[in-house]
Amino acid sequence: MVMLLVMATVLGSLCIDQDSEEKTASANQTKPSGQESTLRYAATFGPEGTLDPAVKWTGWYLREAGVYETLFSYDENMNLQPELATKYEQVSDTEWRIFIREGVKFHDGTPLNADAVIYSLNRVLDDNNTRKGEYDFIESISKYSDSAVTIKTNSTYAPTIASLTDPVTSIVSPGTDLNIAPVGTGPFKFESYTQDVSLSLKKNDNYWNGTAGVDRAIIYFVTDEMTRLFKLESNEVDIADGLPQSEIAGLHNNPEYKIYSTPTLRTYFLYVNMNKEPLNDVKFRQALNYAIDRQQIVDTALEGVGGTPAKSFFGSMMSWSINDRIDMVSRDEQKVRSLLNEAGLEDINGDGWLEYDRKPFELNIKTYTGRPQLKPAAEVIEAQFESVGIKTSVTILDKGALETDLNNKDYDLSLYAWTVAPTGDPDYFVSKHFESTGAEAQKLSYSNPEVDEWIEAGRLTMNQTERKEYYDKVQEQVLDECPEIFVFYQNSLVGTNKKVAGFKQYPNEITFLTKDISIEE
Amino acid sequence: MIEFIARRLLLLVPVLLLVSVISFSIIYISPGDTAENSIMNPGGGVDRKAVEEFRAKTGLDEPVHIQYINWMGRVLRGDLGESYMTGVGVSEAIFRCFKVTLKLAVVSMLVSLVIALPLGIISALKKGTVIDDVCRFFALAGVSMPNFWQAYLLIIVFALTLKVLPSSGYGDGGITYLFLPAVTLGTGYAAVTMRLMRSSMIDVLQQDYVRAARAKGVPEHMVIFRHALKNSLIPVVTVAGLNFGYLLNGSVIVETIFSWPGIGNLIVSSILSKDYPMIQGCVLFIAVIFVLVNFAVDISYAYLNPRIRYENKN
Repeated sequence: MVMLLVMATVLGSLCIDQDSEEKTASANQTKPSGQESTLRYAATFGPEGTLDPAVKWTGWYLREAGVYETLFSYDENMNLQPELATKYEQVSDTEWRIFIREGVKFHDGTPLNADAVIYSLNRVLDDNNTRKGEYDFIESISKYSDSAVTIKTNSTYAPTIASLTDPVTSIVSPGTDLNIAPVGTGPFKFESYTQDVSLSLKKNDNYWNGTAGVDRAIIYFVTDEMTRLFKLESNEVDIADGLPQSEIAGLHNNPEYKIYSTPTLRTYFLYVNMNKEPLNDVKFRQALNYAIDRQQIVDTALEGVGGTPAKSFFGSMMSWSINDRIDMVSRDEQKVRSLLNEAGLEDINGDGWLEYDRKPFELNIKTYTGRPQLKPAAEVIEAQFESVGIKTSVTILDKGALETDLNNKDYDLSLYAWTVAPTGDPDYFVSKHFESTGAEAQKLSYSNPEVDEWIEAGRLTMNQTERKEYYDKVQEQVLDECPEIFVFYQNSLVGTNKKVAGFKQYPNEITFLTKDISIEE
Repeated sequence: MIEFIARRLLLLVPVLLLVSVISFSIIYISPGDTAENSIMNPGGGVDRKAVEEFRAKTGLDEPVHIQYINWMGRVLRGDLGESYMTGVGVSEAIFRCFKVTLKLAVVSMLVSLVIALPLGIISALKKGTVIDDVCRFFALAGVSMPNFWQAYLLIIVFALTLKVLPSSGYGDGGITYLFLPAVTLGTGYAAVTMRLMRSSMIDVLQQDYVRAARAKGVPEHMVIFRHALKNSLIPVVTVAGLNFGYLLNGSVIVETIFSWPGIGNLIVSSILSKDYPMIQGCVLFIAVIFVLVNFAVDISYAYLNPRIRYENKN
């Protein structure tokens, strides 16, 4: 025992010696030999084992890292732009010709050509791919020339090109083991990866679109938001994603850091169970919509920085499909009370709570644990409903359990977060939530033949201006009927130290490390 | 002794079986759909058709007892299966995370013993003095301080203010990265161990044989380290052993705060995503660890206290 103590003491003192040595080593690392610059970034999540971009959502992480690129992508204003493609032509209603950028080489030196594109896209269409369902509109992909491919669709499908921005369709170098060694065309080359720890990258000197502003980049995966902040403050990283909203005000006042907060495409909204009384009454749903004070939710639950009030399901970041005719719904107690009365809710016994059908009435809001904004937002909504006399409660579940309840229609209201347009196309969200056949519409029990027609027409119409008309109509109809009540758009909160230049936020949250980022000493 | 060890090892089998059955049923009756969770888009939404296909492929559409028997059959052949979420082999993932957690556990254990044993002994010898009060105050503080709070405090002091240690992460797995999480975990366990050491030592020092030794004129340090220490260590070893068992299974909170990629992290993420094969593998592994730790504690008992050996003989 005494021996053990002695050993431990010795070991302890060794540790301290080593600490000081390591410290000097890392202090020197900021000015390394040969003036190599390294960008260090604390990310919220990373790949889970495999690095294959065609598996689930792994491609998102590798695009964030600047390894892979897609045929088309979005710029920071959500404008569609060609990336590894140069242009596309529509040959017929169901045939698209895509021209591939020439002279591009993969990180392993293989040239990018039609064969590589076909190989990459076919991996998504593979029978064993769990995401192939999202691409079953494609009938075939064929080679037109060495630098062009033809995509045939089963029927007319306007979102075809937009769907090629999803990192699941990343263009990969054929014939490499993509599970462990990604080979793409992006500004950064893969170097090494340790699950749950980090991903190391090197500048791609042969990048087709210039070169990266830093020699190396290391992405650390840090799940705890406070820890990400500490890493930024202790200068262990240069960029930290997903900072805690409570700390933003303090960082804003600190000249050492730059804080970026812009709305993302993640919308928070309430599912409304239209299968239940009185939620099946449009008057009651509208009353709830007017009872919500969105600005108050942003100011309290989101501390003024975590989000912005929502007008509709599509926020300000949706480029062409924003509906300018829609105004923000602001809280209007007078309107709420008259709508509630019309819906048959009144306070019969004078206890301050409204009764429905002469019986005590209570609403329940279910939400889940996955995102820190959900619980406080649900609680503020609860208080706002109670202030107009509706007795309300909040239940927090895990996401799987809540999903089951929604499927069984065992809920009143449910606060949820969705990325409304992962590929920037409006069809994704509306076809799932408001088309009668959509999985989410069934949870709501929402069905409106007119809305179905507009959504269908939106898919079949190629002209963007005409498409926008249909989606405008869908938005207006949904905001009138309130099968879902939209609350706020989440902001992405990123902090960098003042040395980082050229960082831009992308609302779809899938482009992060770009060639434009550099470190100014 | 051999017989004693063999009997203990045989007890392992029913314990593990029971654990696996219980954990399998608990996951099965907990709400939420496994297949849905496994292929859910992080941005929302699930593709119905893909869910059905996934069910058929993984055998999730079978009745639960069939699922269990199939799993057990594979386990007996040494195959823990693959994770639904990542496709990585379960045993591979557990092994990878366990190595990382083991490192943290050993150092945390050392930290806790280095603090607890000397303080406990000093406290016992100086019973009722100011020194005793100071030691007990530290023990109380150690027990009362929540792990997560202490973790943040240590980060603020050592990483942000003094800038001598990294705030978090695994880095190269070196001692600098280990230091803060190990101290966070170690101090919590040190407090418990120290109080036990103290009371056990006080107890032993009042025994007749200690009085006899002192009466014989044996020097005080010999009395303490030769006669009293070994006996007073028995309850301490039990608790320290169990603490080590807990440490080996990874502390979820500390691993999360310090981004330490160990088994605690693995378990939480598997539970959240209802990754059956991974949860089953982890639970089985934890059960084995606990049984083995208990077993080691029993053996050390027998070593520290001959009476136990003799009882087992009769």
